[in-house]
Amino acid sequence: MKLSFHEKNGVVILEPRGKIMGGPDATVLHDKLHDLIAEKKLKVVIDLSEVDWMNSTGLGILISGLTTLRNNQGDLKLASVTEKIQSLLTITKLVTVFEAYDSVDEAITSFGAAARA
Amino acid sequence: MSGTSRDSIELVIPSDPGRISEADDFLETALRSRGVPDAIVSDMAIAATELVNNAIVHGNKRDATKTVILSLQITDSEVVIRVVDQGEGFDPGQVPDPLAQENLLREVGRGIFIARSLMDDVRYERNPGGGMVVIVRKSLNPA
Repeated sequence: MKLSFHEKNGVVILEPRGKIMGGPDATVLHDKLHDLIAEKKLKVVIDLSEVDWMNSTGLGILISGLTTLRNNQGDLKLASVTEKIQSLLTITKLVTVFEAYDSVDEAITSFGAAARA
Repeated sequence: MSGTSRDSIELVIPSDPGRISEADDFLETALRSRGVPDAIVSDMAIAATELVNNAIVHGNKRDATKTVILSLQITDSEVVIRVVDQGEGFDPGQVPDPLAQENLLREVGRGIFIARSLMDDVRYERNPGGGMVVIVRKSLNPA
């Protein structure tokens, strides 16, 4: 897995590419999420459009990021979820836990909507 | 492949969760080179990494002196994976329900559930030589 990131409108967009299946690769995403929290960057979108697939280790990393961000008054949202990962989120009922959007821009906009609510 | 053709290969992995990607690479390379459809490749790779990770962590308890054997058999009609560890065995029935509301935010505990969801059949057996054997099957001709 490779990981790039950028920031837009105060939201950090993480762009993992490849597979999130555990091992050293996956810790990169885990560590990045926790680095962002330490830096008080608490609005995070993960763009999953280039993730081929993930296993329960990958799902655990997403949950860890989500719960830690929410515990710090932040949030983690998913964007461009592929069919394979959507299927995993559905069978594990994690679809009820994560907010997911069709595009990164929609996910970014949702933070503003939440702030105005 | 003919009606009776069988193709079997195996990989030995040290009990190090950091080596889990070797199982993924092994499965993906073997299945793609044999023309297995992408959707089945991804399901098999996900299930195999779940089972190998369980074998390393819960079976062999990360003991570096122990190994996990991942074997793959492909016939005309199905793909079969066997994962063999050298541990004391564990009871997959004792894993908390990952779909229970109180467990939804747990970071671990979904591996067996995901493997069962993606595969047509998952069986746990005690290996006569010690350790646990998990055998999973996936049809190449889904209904």
